[in-house]
Amino acid sequence: MQTANVNRLTPYLFLAPAAIVMGVALLYPVGYMIYASFLDWNPSQRIGEAEFVGLRNYTKLLTDEAFRESFFVTLKFASIVVSLEMLLGVGLALLLDRNIRGMSTLRTLFILPMMIAPIVVGLMWRYMYHPTVGIFNRTLKSWGFEPIPWLSDGSWAFASVIIADVWQWTPFIFILSLAALQSLPQSAMEAARIDGANGWQLIWFVKLPLMMPVLIVTLLLRLIDAFKVLEVILVMTNGGPGLSTEILSLRISRTASEFRELGEAAAMSNYLLILLMILTAAMFLYNKAMEARAARLRAAAEADL
Amino acid sequence: MAGFAVADGHGGPYAPYAGTTLVINVPAHPHYNAMMKVLPQFTEETGIEVEVDQLQYLKMRERQTLELTKDEGDYDLISYVVFSKADYVFADQLENLARFFMNPKLADPAYDAEDLIDGYVANIGIAGGFKGYLPGATGSLFGIPYGSETSVLAYRKDIFEKHGIATPENYDQLLDAACKIPEVEEGMGGMASRAASGHQASHAFLLHLAPLGGRVFDDNWEPIINNEAGVAAANALKTIVDCGPEGSQTFGPSEAAAAFSQGQAAMFMDSIAFAAGFEDPTKSKVAGKVGYALHPEGVRRGSQTGGFGIAIPKNAQNKEAAFLLMQWLTSKKGDLAVAMAGGNPSRFSTYENAELNAKYPYSATFGEALKYADPDWRPIIPTWGKINADIGTTMSQVLTEGLDPQEALDGVAERARAIMDEAGYYTWQ
Repeated sequence: MQTANVNRLTPYLFLAPAAIVMGVALLYPVGYMIYASFLDWNPSQRIGEAEFVGLRNYTKLLTDEAFRESFFVTLKFASIVVSLEMLLGVGLALLLDRNIRGMSTLRTLFILPMMIAPIVVGLMWRYMYHPTVGIFNRTLKSWGFEPIPWLSDGSWAFASVIIADVWQWTPFIFILSLAALQSLPQSAMEAARIDGANGWQLIWFVKLPLMMPVLIVTLLLRLIDAFKVLEVILVMTNGGPGLSTEILSLRISRTASEFRELGEAAAMSNYLLILLMILTAAMFLYNKAMEARAARLRAAAEADL
Repeated sequence: MAGFAVADGHGGPYAPYAGTTLVINVPAHPHYNAMMKVLPQFTEETGIEVEVDQLQYLKMRERQTLELTKDEGDYDLISYVVFSKADYVFADQLENLARFFMNPKLADPAYDAEDLIDGYVANIGIAGGFKGYLPGATGSLFGIPYGSETSVLAYRKDIFEKHGIATPENYDQLLDAACKIPEVEEGMGGMASRAASGHQASHAFLLHLAPLGGRVFDDNWEPIINNEAGVAAANALKTIVDCGPEGSQTFGPSEAAAAFSQGQAAMFMDSIAFAAGFEDPTKSKVAGKVGYALHPEGVRRGSQTGGFGIAIPKNAQNKEAAFLLMQWLTSKKGDLAVAMAGGNPSRFSTYENAELNAKYPYSATFGEALKYADPDWRPIIPTWGKINADIGTTMSQVLTEGLDPQEALDGVAERARAIMDEAGYYTWQ
């Protein structure tokens, strides 16, 4: 009996050191940030000298117009870029999931943008959007059109940062979608073809449902990243004009460094953390349902064959 | 040590510190690049070695923030950007310089502090007096200007001559010229100005606010940014940006300077630090064609004061040697040496120096401009970061979204008052 207990505990004992290290490494910074959010703390003080203010930072932010605006801008930005990237990425994967000559070269070219450092991407697009020497306005002028105020008008600036982000991160969706496509069970495809499914029906009723678990994880990863985007926008617009592209990461960074309010910056980060946790939980629940559906589809395909 | 001329057995002020190595933290900035060229001369004369940690200025601020909270800091002397004065002094992280100037073994009798540009000293060096950040009966000296700047008007002499436009002496002439130039010189903007959302737009607005008679707060900390002068400054900036080169709304200082040096604008009104670049034919298409004039007069003359100063951290390891370096760098000899190497003088006498004027003909104009350097053109208080950002984003909305200046500034005033209230500025009212 005792031996059985020891045997049951053995794996946990072996795992314990790594689990403790991981736990501390993950939880300590989060705990530190949560604690900091209850303080009126500026960088000239040590954390021990900062005044404890309870929930004041959180309540203050609820009435802070600029914070609300940047929260809304972030929501808008993340939902638009992730939707566009999912559409384009999955679409491209479906289009390029075939074995013809030159396809591997094409795939490699498609994933180049995501290999470039975000700061460089920001600079590159900023120069392309330049009002006089940028390639877009030069092209428009040469065709006889009026130049566009890419970065000097709020709506255009918002569209411009979306274009840059979509350009850089669509390949991420593409590469994961392609991997998911290529690992789909061929039996399911064959069963659908035998049942007379055409190309569109095959995509809509077989491929996409089977890919869904991977797509949801991909979507989640991109969504988390999109909510935290900083460098590209910092370099391209620095949050302007006005507050039109001031996403939350930029606001948090400003609050900590320019306004020297570390407690308030930590509270903002925690609001973002809470939002992302809610989104992640919702995605995982949905993912569970999708996995069950994909399993049913696989089983049905096996039965058909 | 071969050239060490002071500690040769006769003692001398530097002898006790010969062999010390000072660690100093400075920004990547033309003035400090010039300083690097004169430091070997200091080591040769004093025997004190200097190790320089040069960082991009925002990184420099971040590093200092961490360094200054330590019990024993790594830096013996720091350069600080002017608005850090409020943070560092308020946190008691800088040495009051009185005890060094009182020490006969350290203070050089020939230093002539009266020759230091008073607007700079008031803006960058003194804290604890009027409004807490200006000189006054209760003020003390915490730093000395080094790499400080004021604003002047740079203009294209050839373009102005060609179209018979007079050098702007006042704001009416400045705004007229700014909008006349695009009409008469195809493809050229009137004036290149900072205008990008945030700090840049705020800086540009404040640049016009002081000469047009405005202030952000009155003497009781009540926001008056939204009065007639404030609206006039916002309108002036909007006129300048609207008549400026294409894309002006997104310009930071580098873009604005680049637009001027590449011939896309006929005027540029900003820091004197840009002049050397305009006159460098390898970087500028307008070298030799630029005239310099005083910041035009509004209801008064008032050019900006900004840039950097140097100070001794409270947690420095070699404070006395650091003071000797500070004193040497800002002495008449040190100031002239750094100015000749391309830096910004901190002394009136340096600007009057014939040798410097022969090398940099615009020096006399800059020296004249310094008489009007306004140390109170923007408040240097701990809450400034947030207010500055708000002015900057709101002003950007005026420039790009057509927000009414009065409405914009009313909002800024209301929000600024709330920030000041929270920080305790109305406790005694």
